[in-house]
Amino acid sequence: MGVRDVLFGRKKLKDPARERLFAMSTARITLESELDLKPAGAAGVCFKSLSAGEFVRAENDLQALLDGVASQSGSKVERHTDDMGFEWIVLRDGDFEDLVATVHTVAQEFQDRGFGSQLLAAIFPFNGKFKEGRMYWIYGFKRGAFWPFVPTGEDQQRDNAEELELKAKLEQELPIEPDLTRWFGLFNAPL
Amino acid sequence: MKRKAYGRDAGLTARMLLTSFLLGLLYVGFALVLFYVFNAGLVLMVVIVVGLAIFQYYTSDKLALAASGAKIVSPEEAPQLHAMVERLAAMAELQKPRVAIVDTPMPNAFATGRNQKHAVVAVTTGLWDRLDEREIEGVLAHELTHIANRDVLVMTIASFFATLAALLTRWGLYAGMFGGFGGSRDNNNNSVPVWLIVIAVSFVTYVLSWVLIRTISRYREYAADRGSALITGAPEYLMSALQKISSQMTLIPQRDLREVEGMSAFFIIPPSVKGSISELFMDHPPLEKRLAALEQIAREMGRPVS
Repeated sequence: MGVRDVLFGRKKLKDPARERLFAMSTARITLESELDLKPAGAAGVCFKSLSAGEFVRAENDLQALLDGVASQSGSKVERHTDDMGFEWIVLRDGDFEDLVATVHTVAQEFQDRGFGSQLLAAIFPFNGKFKEGRMYWIYGFKRGAFWPFVPTGEDQQRDNAEELELKAKLEQELPIEPDLTRWFGLFNAPL
Repeated sequence: MKRKAYGRDAGLTARMLLTSFLLGLLYVGFALVLFYVFNAGLVLMVVIVVGLAIFQYYTSDKLALAASGAKIVSPEEAPQLHAMVERLAAMAELQKPRVAIVDTPMPNAFATGRNQKHAVVAVTTGLWDRLDEREIEGVLAHELTHIANRDVLVMTIASFFATLAALLTRWGLYAGMFGGFGGSRDNNNNSVPVWLIVIAVSFVTYVLSWVLIRTISRYREYAADRGSALITGAPEYLMSALQKISSQMTLIPQRDLREVEGMSAFFIIPPSVKGSISELFMDHPPLEKRLAALEQIAREMGRPVS
């Protein structure tokens, strides 16, 4: 936003979140061919549950929707509640593009029903030569950006050097969260 | 005049540098007002400058601690840190300084105090958490060297002359224009533009001397790095500490996304703003140069160089 936009109260619209999430589908080719990172065949969406009736109804509808999607594309849908009280929708599918599309469907459903703020992040695991055998790309719905997450497997430790390297390599293709202080991890994701 | 912070970081360095800059500005502004409003003479000016410099010198430790939000801790509160400082102070042949902790995730440290008796070493919780023991020792030894080198005194003298130079420039201009002070300034129609010139010149002088002081400060940093190497006998740990402190890695949080969810207070200050300030006002030499200097010292000491 330029100075004039600030002065006149104009607000530039962000890129549609859809495009940003779908950047992962194309980035995956670079990840696989240049960095030898293979999609682990799963994706997760983490959200905060609400006890409000409206939210429960939305969740049930979402479940029905996902069952429909699953039977069509042959992917599996799991539900988990983690130790920290957050809900997870875990999708398993060999086809990476289907995974990204389904994650988008889930997010869209939340947003359409006015529960967009309950969404925390989506997470895409990739297998590679890491200490723990895999790394994760985390997508923050609020800022519409990805960041890499490489846990080392020791309690809440992560390989920051590796993460910065991944950032440097994928910067051209993925909308990467520029503010490193927001690169929060998601340890022990049920994926 | 406080000692400057360690390494490149957003919050602490920026705050402390801004403090010192504003302090100086206040200093000149105050003298300026006195000079023009009360039409005070040069001698009185110098007396005020000296007085302020002395005040600053004697309150340096309190000013620095207040500016950084550091809290003095007792040996009971931080036994490990106290033990470490004690051991290093003994090796540096210094009295053990007071120890303070700043509660921030940014790894940083600083030393302040006008002499050994009033010295304080402060470390941030981020430094304590992210560096290992030998690296922390390297950093603490660096700060202790600042105390041993009496850097607070050096910097106070440096800024004293800078301030005096600024005042003299202004006085010279004033005297040149009107042939002495007091006089018929108020009857002169040209007095407003002259005022502006005077203020502009003094401000430029002040900014320039501020830059010069920062340069002196950089040299003191090299000296402190060398001192740290001599005290610990192992410059490689200070080198790895510097690399850790200055890398982008220290920005990446260690916490889980789910822990911080809902903590909106966490995001009150946009970190990008903090970052740009520290880039502008960096008063430490570039990391590569410091590392190269330390490598040279390591070679001189016959230590293995990676």
